[in-house]
Amino acid sequence: MAIKLIGFPQPPNTLRVVLTLNELGLPFELEPVTDIQTIKTEDFIANKHPFGKVPVLIDGDFVIHESRAICRYLISKYQKDAKVVLIPDDPNKAAIVEQYLSYETAYYDPPLTKIVYQELVIKNFLGKPIDEAVVKQALEEIEKVLDIYEKILEGKDYLTGEYSFADLLHAGCAQYIYADTAHSYIFEKRPNVKRWIANLRNRDAFKKTYA
Amino acid sequence: MAIKLIGYAQTLHTRRVILTLNELGLSYELEAITEIQTTRTEEFLANKHPFGKIPVLCDGDFTVNESRAICRYLVSKYQKDAKIVLIPNDINKASLVEQYISYELSYFDPPLTKILIQEVFNKRKGEPTDEAVVKQAREEIEKVLDVYDKILVGKDYLNGEYSLADLFHIPCAHYICTATPHGDVFDKRPNVKRWLNNLRNRELMSPYTI
Repeated sequence: MAIKLIGFPQPPNTLRVVLTLNELGLPFELEPVTDIQTIKTEDFIANKHPFGKVPVLIDGDFVIHESRAICRYLISKYQKDAKVVLIPDDPNKAAIVEQYLSYETAYYDPPLTKIVYQELVIKNFLGKPIDEAVVKQALEEIEKVLDIYEKILEGKDYLTGEYSFADLLHAGCAQYIYADTAHSYIFEKRPNVKRWIANLRNRDAFKKTYA
Repeated sequence: MAIKLIGYAQTLHTRRVILTLNELGLSYELEAITEIQTTRTEEFLANKHPFGKIPVLCDGDFTVNESRAICRYLVSKYQKDAKIVLIPNDINKASLVEQYISYELSYFDPPLTKILIQEVFNKRKGEPTDEAVVKQAREEIEKVLDVYDKILVGKDYLNGEYSLADLFHIPCAHYICTATPHGDVFDKRPNVKRWLNNLRNRELMSPYTI
């Protein structure tokens, strides 16, 4: 029985699971959600996600939700048969990956999500004007964060030196900035960050996911 | 060489690590940071945390920062010698723990942190409390805790047995109960109330209480 992934096809939380599935070389079936009411039914809330959210992954009899937990499940179960190491077995190396995963949720994602929300949801999807003050403040915040990433990435292609789950999670948010906004200069003007993002976006699994 | 934890015991992030160290029965030395300037020096930014944050853990030659990463490191390295299982070895059980860890980060922590900022941190700085923010955050956490109350039916802990997911919830919840008048959000839901009492009884066994 194939792995089944239930989710809206476009948002970052679905695509980070798709990217992980592709990196691990795992076949899967995407069951796209088109109507938000589908995920608010009593059955969905009882059996798939008590907060009425997606994505949800079903692997045989096992059901799991929350995109980062789903990714970790896939890595711990299938990494040993894959061509890529997303979380190393060595506790010290794994800890540094975890450190950068924490940077992603704490420092990198929040300002980028604010920008993408204004540009993609408010402007493109709802056709309303962007809140320029929010975008300006978020750009200032992410530029300070990327100044630090620029130092971290000195002499390195990836955050820990080798490609890991931490890099994978950073890739998705960057892609939205490139594809849907005029703000990719924030990455392009910093040579180490630029090289890193280019490496991430050139990976086969990335191209397959974001085609 | 002992484990050294650089941090401030009264902050949520440092307390998360202290709880994990205590649960794993690990001895450590706390290097208290009381002046924020200490974390802004070139040396600290270069060698401890490039964003100038605490806590930071030094275990021999190894340095790791970010509280949740530190806790996971301690579990992966020392759990096998401890009397407790914080992340199960079974992949499916571990993944469900990860699911609840994600709930803490995404649904539980944000509204409670908003309340703590208004009721505790702003007051300490002599700044006004924004009651509208508190009201909205309360409404948000109440909806979240309605879901938790269903999840915890017939269970003492989120995944049935105590895990790192429950531990991660302790610092914020404990602070809300001890430093704000909003502990009622937990008390009025019987399963949540039982769960939190179980957790806070563990907390009180630690030497570092608020």
